[in-house]
Amino acid sequence: MSENNDPHLWLNDHGDYLYRYAFSRLHNEDLAADMLQETLLAGWKGFNNFAGQSSIRTWLTGILQHKIIDHIRREIRNRKLTESVENDPTSAYFNENGSWREVPSAWKDNPEALCQSEQFHAVLESCISKLPEKQQIIFRMRDITGEDSDTICKSCDMTSTHLHVLLHRARLALRKCLEWNWFGQGSRP
Amino acid sequence: MKHACKEISRLASDSLDRKLTLWEKLQFRMHLLICSNCRNCADSLKLMRHALALIEKTKYGNVRLSDTQRNKLKQALKKNTDH
Repeated sequence: MSENNDPHLWLNDHGDYLYRYAFSRLHNEDLAADMLQETLLAGWKGFNNFAGQSSIRTWLTGILQHKIIDHIRREIRNRKLTESVENDPTSAYFNENGSWREVPSAWKDNPEALCQSEQFHAVLESCISKLPEKQQIIFRMRDITGEDSDTICKSCDMTSTHLHVLLHRARLALRKCLEWNWFGQGSRP
Repeated sequence: MKHACKEISRLASDSLDRKLTLWEKLQFRMHLLICSNCRNCADSLKLMRHALALIEKTKYGNVRLSDTQRNKLKQALKKNTDH
């Protein structure tokens, strides 16, 4: 398949796709559009590097992905977000012998129904926003955007072990918050 | 030996991100057989992820560039690629 070095054509054919990719990761319209512009221009300048082994869309997405990773990495560095591995907050959910302090209940709702409920969205968002900031960032990347672990480790300058520790914390905290505010018996709004 | 639920909750979370080792898998499965609390926890973590992915898909599935943004991009491309 031959491709032309034509960013106007790329904007036309892949603009919405790439914009969606950026927006769902950056949650900011202007920033997503800026990243898209940089990507199209970088593709135009670096077109000689396009080997034609993948589609142009895949190639451009790769460029965009790198730009997003760089952006998130800068953000995290600038805001000096750190979280130590010590002082495990998940200890609060368990007794000394490692058994549950408050036993998890069985959640009966099905995901499709939850997805339709505005009330659930609100509870969920409020629970997520209570997580420590770094946990929020990686949790959103992993479980909401569905980014792979490698990409997150690169964006956040962390080892996979550290990533797993923080995801465990985030998920248990969120589970507990949802149990209290949504799934728990009698607590449904 | 009964594995502490805390450790099992870690495996339940890790299993969403990486392949558990054979030994971990064995510990995990054996424990879930005898512990409904950890079964509930593991199920709820999976349900959370599933629901979140669905919500995300609905939220961003229809996102498009606005005409204003598209025109701005066109102009920027023109300016930067003209010699």
